[in-house]
Amino acid sequence: MQLHPRFFGQNLRENLVSKLIKDVEGTISGRHGFVLVVTGIESIGKGLIRDGTSFVTFPVKYRCVVFRPFKGEVLEAVVTTVMQHGFFAEAGPLQLFVSNHEMSDGMEYQAGEMPNYTSSDASVRIQKESEVLLKITTVSVVATEIVRTISITLFTMQLK
Amino acid sequence: MSGEEEENAAELKIGEEFLKAKCLMNCEVSLILEHKYEQLQQVSEDPMNQVSQVFEKSLQYVKRFSRYKNPDAVRQVREILSRHQLTEFELCVLGNLCPETAEEAVAMVPSLKVKGQIAIVMSCGLLRYDLVLLTFFFPSSLAL
Repeated sequence: MQLHPRFFGQNLRENLVSKLIKDVEGTISGRHGFVLVVTGIESIGKGLIRDGTSFVTFPVKYRCVVFRPFKGEVLEAVVTTVMQHGFFAEAGPLQLFVSNHEMSDGMEYQAGEMPNYTSSDASVRIQKESEVLLKITTVSVVATEIVRTISITLFTMQLK
Repeated sequence: MSGEEEENAAELKIGEEFLKAKCLMNCEVSLILEHKYEQLQQVSEDPMNQVSQVFEKSLQYVKRFSRYKNPDAVRQVREILSRHQLTEFELCVLGNLCPETAEEAVAMVPSLKVKGQIAIVMSCGLLRYDLVLLTFFFPSSLAL
């Protein structure tokens, strides 16, 4: 963590922690996923003055909660948009896409005011706001987002 | 992401870092995020503006997909699941998805079968029974 000298003084630790929280919470990395919240500070090391600047760098060890989905993992998601070639769903901050090629046989796209996928025996319908259980097959980290493509709708639960 | 070993949660190939880390179920994360949100509410009139979209979406998600709301029930669930020889990751997926049958459990956590823990899979029925018992002790703890 880097801090400008104007933050030094009695509230140094407080300032460091606030800056850490501001800088780190809500960020995304390919390695750790989404950082949701900082839950504690383990240690703050000695500050080192950076050459040529008045900034001081402090090594900070902290604990946090991250959301890091994995290929092969099964998780619940909420359908957001249904289209002819597949549907988008969200699991919190994570965007997921299921292409129609990856759905179980018999799922047919139905266009209309509320586009959806319906099974051939009409027992299952996937539409906006449906809760679905998905298995992650591919991962792509796009710029600052992580997008997962999904295959196989295992079980679906309908709202209404 | 390291390409050393092909990542695959179905075989518990999630990297040393994550195998060692503590894994949290949705209901546990919900308690943490709600606590943070309450802290923000005390200092600001509009806490939603103070948090990132990541936080907001995550909070909505874990609240929606939490099976248990009561903190004591949440502790009990972890305690029940810890009795079986599961990794943190497996424990949390089971706690989140609550499979009703052994087939469902293996579909959700394939590593159970691969590890040869058929006994655990068989006892999933008992696991479900234990978890269902919780609803009698903590009736208000089930998410709607």
